[in-house]
Amino acid sequence: MNLKASLIPTRMSIEVLSSGLQTTIQDFGRIGWSHLGVPESGPADKYSFSLANRLLNKDISAAAVECTLSGPHLKFLKPMALAITGADMNPLINNQRIELNKVHAVNSEDTLVLSNCLTGCRSYIALSEDIIANKFLGSTSTYIPAKLGGINGSPLEKGLIIKTKENKNYKKDINYNYSEPVRHFSNEWELKVIKGPEFDFLDQKSQEIIFSKKFIVSSESNRMGNRLKGFELNLKKQREIVSCPVSIGTIQCPDGGLPIILGCDSQTLGGYPRILQVALTDMSSLGQLRPNDTITFSKLSIDQARKEFIKELG
Amino acid sequence: MINTKEFIVSEFSENILLVSLKDDSKFSDTSSFFLSLSQHLRENIKGAVFTASEKSLSIKYDFCTLPSEELTENLFSEIEKFKPSNKIKTRLKLDIPVLYSEEYGLDIKEISSLCSLSINEIAQIHSSKTYSVKMIGFTPGFAYLGDVDKNLRVPRRVEPRKNLLPGSIGISNNRTGIYSLGGPGGWNILGRTPINLFNPDLDNPFQILPDKQINFYPINKDEFESILNTHKNEY
Repeated sequence: MNLKASLIPTRMSIEVLSSGLQTTIQDFGRIGWSHLGVPESGPADKYSFSLANRLLNKDISAAAVECTLSGPHLKFLKPMALAITGADMNPLINNQRIELNKVHAVNSEDTLVLSNCLTGCRSYIALSEDIIANKFLGSTSTYIPAKLGGINGSPLEKGLIIKTKENKNYKKDINYNYSEPVRHFSNEWELKVIKGPEFDFLDQKSQEIIFSKKFIVSSESNRMGNRLKGFELNLKKQREIVSCPVSIGTIQCPDGGLPIILGCDSQTLGGYPRILQVALTDMSSLGQLRPNDTITFSKLSIDQARKEFIKELG
Repeated sequence: MINTKEFIVSEFSENILLVSLKDDSKFSDTSSFFLSLSQHLRENIKGAVFTASEKSLSIKYDFCTLPSEELTENLFSEIEKFKPSNKIKTRLKLDIPVLYSEEYGLDIKEISSLCSLSINEIAQIHSSKTYSVKMIGFTPGFAYLGDVDKNLRVPRRVEPRKNLLPGSIGISNNRTGIYSLGGPGGWNILGRTPINLFNPDLDNPFQILPDKQINFYPINKDEFESILNTHKNEY
């Protein structure tokens, strides 16, 4: 427990009535520690995460709750405001449907219930109050394999109490009537990619297949990576690769030929050919891929990818 | 002084550059070259994230504020200043106890038949060398240590294991390493250490850093249990 944080009065703020499939605390991530093998972590869909914080006038990197495929049931023990973004898990406050991408007020004893989403994978709940969570290397992002950050380094569990403290910058004059357009996710994705350093390791036929066929997101997917199925790619020759740097969005081709898209909890080094890299402009989409969704890849040059990204920044 | 012509800087993506050596470079077989270079660059180029592997180095940066051409220029001028002789000094010694046994060394029988060595001989060979850190990565604090004795080199397993016990010690060709977190891993396992080498609750969470020299020493089951019990709170 961070000593400084413990000196500020905190309150039991939210009771977890049920946890959802994998609900974790995330801030913007543990950036800059890859030389010690520490993954970035942070939200799988940075766009939706930042939007939730933005709606509440919070720092876009403030800790929020990430829900996966099915969300939690929460009971509030004090009044605050919240915003929900990302996948539509049919959020209800006291059994009343609420809009995504909009700020809502809750009172003591109010319940927030999220259920399953049919498209997309992750939903974000940002709060007007600051979530109290463990800090490691400056970040409260939960990294489950090493039990870092979050609350005990683990997903939320039934019965747990989330503590919060007042956010000094939180503006009382929040516009509860304002809303941002909701992104509707499809079960069919087109991801823009750049050729990776070992793209040429693929044989001629696989170099064509990768840009023409539909791949399917396997159920063996998590925050570390999305495994794909549908087509087996072939490498020109079996080459033992010395582990080399990989990043979020690196697409590896392991021996079996079924590609893996590395996610936000990705390892820092990897020993498989890096055949593609997801363009920054589509990076947030990775967090919304759900098992059985289909993916086609479209090729961009690095310059085109930079332009797309800048265009999106506006 | 380093001749920058030995290096290739290439673009991995919009915001990642890769530095590697040309195949004929005389630094190609210099151990820990990129590890020391990345430390030098980290100290001298701000606002970028450096990840070193044995054969290359990646640099993640914000291309909107730092154009790749400018960063490439900075890299070359810093590489010129870098002296490979200033390599990381490995003065700090770390002794790691290992129980080499069939119970925890899930692949020790396989290694034994592949290398025609008895379990005792495997323990003796693995623990008689002093290892240095070749790179750090994969998971928090995981260090690739080398070189493994030529008689003990075995390739990665074809099927990686999904759930290794924390402290499992593996071998992959000329590298050995400790799975402090447990979890998935594809290396051949020859034993287990009862000490925890990554503990986020300590002031120094990472026990193995580039400046460490590592020795393993064999222990028996009783010693393993007793060390495990004393260190329980740290796990």
